[in-house]
Amino acid sequence: MAESNAPQQQTSGPSGPRSSGGPGGGMRPGGPPKRGKRSFVRKKKVCRFCVDKADFIDYKRAEILAPFIQERGKILPRRMTGTCARHQRWLTVAIKRAQNIALLPFAAEL
Amino acid sequence: MEERQYDLIFICRPDTLEADIDKIIATLEHTASEKGAKIEKTDKWGRKRMAYRVHKLREGFYVYMILKSSHGEVVKELERRLKVSDPVIKYLTVRVDEELKRQAKLKHHRERRAARRPRKAAPTAAPAPGAPAGGEQAPAAV
Repeated sequence: MAESNAPQQQTSGPSGPRSSGGPGGGMRPGGPPKRGKRSFVRKKKVCRFCVDKADFIDYKRAEILAPFIQERGKILPRRMTGTCARHQRWLTVAIKRAQNIALLPFAAEL
Repeated sequence: MEERQYDLIFICRPDTLEADIDKIIATLEHTASEKGAKIEKTDKWGRKRMAYRVHKLREGFYVYMILKSSHGEVVKELERRLKVSDPVIKYLTVRVDEELKRQAKLKHHRERRAARRPRKAAPTAAPAPGAPAGGEQAPAAV
């Protein structure tokens, strides 16, 4: 077993899922090994836009888009917001447009 | 050629006089009609706080327009005017006709699917999209 002093390397052999102390594997609710800021989506989150059956994500409405960006201005990944792939693509386009027109920030103000 | 539709948003300095803003709008309308385009709608959103500083300003006066044209050069001309005009600090033009077409298609499919299914529970039916789905021909008025 390779010791893990250094940052973990991706070259694990065919020895199955790594266990890095936390709950391993993708099936269990704990989620894959810790990487990133928060733990993974715990239960099955639904896509907010699918629920509303949105055909269009309007870049002009910052209040809809604001929950999907961090305070730093970065766009939140799907696994944190629970958005489906299609809506995430639309959302990204809308967020970037809104950022360009100063309705949403690019980065946090110092 | 089919009709294209654009969303045009520009932001003026917050201390601009209303009259000057109207002048800019009039110039844009004039330019557009010269080129065979028409401005369908003008909406002044008024003073809004911007998410970041533009030209050292924190607030701006937002104006939103819908532009319809059959060709694209008019957009270039309008943007050029906005660029040289002093009170305007930011502008953005977005082409939305494809987007609207797709929206209409999705809505159409959804309505057809809903109509085809035998409606067991009637009252919930109405396929009116909720608030976030807004943004059809006219913008969802905020």
